[in-house]
Amino acid sequence: MEEWSRLSLVAELIRDHISLDGIDRYLAETGVQKSDFVLVEPSDFAGEIFAVDGSNVSLCNWSTADVNLIRAGYAVYRGREWRRTVITFADVLLADAKLCRNMFDPYLEQFFGLEGIDLKESDLDRLSSYYRELQEYVAINDALGEAHAGDIILYDGSFDVFEPLRGALAVIFARAEEKGVALLAVAKSSSLFWGEEITLPFVQHTGMAGSRLAPEAAWYISLKDKKVDASQGRWNGQTYIVRFCGQSEHAFRVDAPIFLQGEMGSVLGKLAAYSCSAECLGYPHALFRAHRDIRITEQEGAAVRQRLMARLSQGGMPHSKIRMLMQDFHDILEMKPRI
Amino acid sequence: MAIKEEQIRPNSAASLLNRKVIEGRDTTYCIVSKNVSEYHFIVPFDLSEEERVEVGQIFSIKDQGLTFLARVLNIEHSSNYDGHWDTTMKGTQFFDDDQIFNRVIAEPLGCINKKLEFKKSRTLPTKFASVTRAEKEEFKFLSQVMGDIEVGYLRNGSRLVEEIPVALHSEAMDHHMGVFATTGMGKSNFMKVFAASCMRLFARGESKFGLLIVDPHGEYLKGKSKDLVKGLVHLKKYREGLACYSTNKQNASDPGVEELAISESEILPQDIALLYDWSPPQRDALEAISRILDPASWLEEIQSPEGMARMMQEGFKDSTVMVLVRRIKNELGRNSYIRKRSSLANILANLQKGKVVLVDIPRMSDRSELFLLSVISRYILNEYKKDEQEGQESRKNCLITIEEAQRVLGAGSNTTRFESIAREGRKFGVGLCAITQQPKLIDKQLLSQFNTLVVMGLGDRNDRMQLEESAKQDLSSMDIEIQTLEKGEAVVSTLNIPFPVPARIHRYEDYLRRLEKEDKQESLITRGGFKPFLE
Repeated sequence: MEEWSRLSLVAELIRDHISLDGIDRYLAETGVQKSDFVLVEPSDFAGEIFAVDGSNVSLCNWSTADVNLIRAGYAVYRGREWRRTVITFADVLLADAKLCRNMFDPYLEQFFGLEGIDLKESDLDRLSSYYRELQEYVAINDALGEAHAGDIILYDGSFDVFEPLRGALAVIFARAEEKGVALLAVAKSSSLFWGEEITLPFVQHTGMAGSRLAPEAAWYISLKDKKVDASQGRWNGQTYIVRFCGQSEHAFRVDAPIFLQGEMGSVLGKLAAYSCSAECLGYPHALFRAHRDIRITEQEGAAVRQRLMARLSQGGMPHSKIRMLMQDFHDILEMKPRI
Repeated sequence: MAIKEEQIRPNSAASLLNRKVIEGRDTTYCIVSKNVSEYHFIVPFDLSEEERVEVGQIFSIKDQGLTFLARVLNIEHSSNYDGHWDTTMKGTQFFDDDQIFNRVIAEPLGCINKKLEFKKSRTLPTKFASVTRAEKEEFKFLSQVMGDIEVGYLRNGSRLVEEIPVALHSEAMDHHMGVFATTGMGKSNFMKVFAASCMRLFARGESKFGLLIVDPHGEYLKGKSKDLVKGLVHLKKYREGLACYSTNKQNASDPGVEELAISESEILPQDIALLYDWSPPQRDALEAISRILDPASWLEEIQSPEGMARMMQEGFKDSTVMVLVRRIKNELGRNSYIRKRSSLANILANLQKGKVVLVDIPRMSDRSELFLLSVISRYILNEYKKDEQEGQESRKNCLITIEEAQRVLGAGSNTTRFESIAREGRKFGVGLCAITQQPKLIDKQLLSQFNTLVVMGLGDRNDRMQLEESAKQDLSSMDIEIQTLEKGEAVVSTLNIPFPVPARIHRYEDYLRRLEKEDKQESLITRGGFKPFLE
């Protein structure tokens, strides 16, 4: 069948071009050198690790505007011991381009001393994502308030953020530097790439190269002066690729503010000591916990959606109207239970 | 209609940041589910040896003025994570013991209110109510419901609660007692401890029943000196509470031990009947003896040519009568204690005084033991019946112990005498203490007459099921616990105590030492206010 032959071709392409046979071409084209892989020595850490994450599910969507359930917060660990999880935001958002200033501005003014948000036309269809990011920064800010000098705050994501919120990030960086708190963003997925003929995944290939050059070890490399665009100049920081645990195959993109440049080995060593849990090998465990504690599950989203519909019904709205407004036609196509 | 400001814009700093903090230990040691008849709570998966949760342990849940008690039935590995990802250990270890945990399934026993009254629970604790190991404070109410015959200490899992002795009620003894355990689990030790407590009660003038023990193994009288196992005679302080009879001449030569004798005149054809399987004509002949021969001298008569002739004159074949005579001669020859004089009146008198009567019959065959037990039991039951008719209220009740009780209480056994004691003995103040390692062989209906059960470890599922189906209290949920009982541990179920109580039976030798040390003159300990004999 035609589609199967296409699948074979794609498999061939992946095998011949995307899979990394040797690392010479990778080294030559990316500018990465063997000596760039710096070994990380796991070291015990008496301070606290804060891991910030956020979650967002759509309750109903009218394309022009939608209703979302958003949650943000952080988990706190001392060593291997979970201390607490703090939820800083858990609420429903009506994401409407015409109302967006009212949604963003109070937070920007209150927490970051910024005047307000300036959104372009192209930003308006991603309002709920931006709002979630804003709430994540509020959570980072809250964690900064609780952290002590020497503590580490991890953010699930990248610091190459949405432009209108870079001001908030700059305030966070300044506060972290002033307080002596290490602030890192750890991204599970990354769009970093290399290759001239075909787009090749940079983080995965760096992980493979690292496995050959520094097997069974934790390591990091800095992307400074490498032929990879990590947009570092835009957010006043440095991007690294890090393998936190020698037993794991996975490497991650890690962003750090510029003030941490000289301390990365030490900070990553502290994280490496706590990235080897049986629950989630190779990933800073605090981030694993934050993800689990803060995520909004499908059932939770469905329950809130039901409650929203109940409120509408109590308010006198006829069921047919509720169905018309809330039913996603995709659900009808998927033959999911009708509202 | 215009959109209101507060619909879209948070109007205060407080509404901007609505922090909720979930802290450690918010989830472990909390009730998480499930219903009125089953509680679930979770505990860390990596508890230390001292903190480990065990089947049978009792936990308390304090909730709005009530203290619920729940006994652990089972423990399962569990987690908040879906799927089967944790079948291979990667990494160093689990970090989150509040997410990877053991789920404890517990059975509610009841709840204690503010007045320290224990009630069966008709509700369940609030979700996330805190769970702690029950300590002596929570068990205090048990002291109020314990009886007067101390047998051990309360056990919480493997831990002893020495402040709470487990004691059976004298009043319940005519409602029959069963002691069930496989070999080596401590049946004999239990009986000695039980007897020692009875002797103590007698010596203190508190005895409410006499205890008859027929010992075919010769282990209760003097124990086994080579194994340092003590006997009842070693409890010198309360020796007055013990009357001993022995068929062994050497034992009988000891002061305080009388040589056992049963008079021929006290033996009835029915006693012989239970010793053999008889053909219908033989059984007819046995039943006719009392009619044909003089009941007081039938044993002598039937062995004489005249007696045999009279039987044959009544139509019984000579071969039938010959079988009867031969078997009777065998029994008389085998049981040298059958004489002209009798100890039965003395035995009865001692029982009626409330003493422990030990009949020591070492090396006696199974059949002879049954025969003897049958004669004594019949005699006792008849005398108690007479007393009842005559309104003799001064005499104490009596508890007759039967070892390997499945022989005489089994379904289809032809020993109706013991069955009748089980069924109607209570009316006359006579109870049975059935000891067996095979309760499955005991007639279910008879077993249901037993109000006190001491279960000491039964590996056979059918044995456990038989007890569970017949017990007055629900033992079905304790199946795993009964299966895992260690030597000397027991579950005691009796109607006067609100739930089956886990106990560690005293080691007889230790108990003996304590009893010998206690001050005999100290004020009598009243029911429910036991003072433990702590070293």
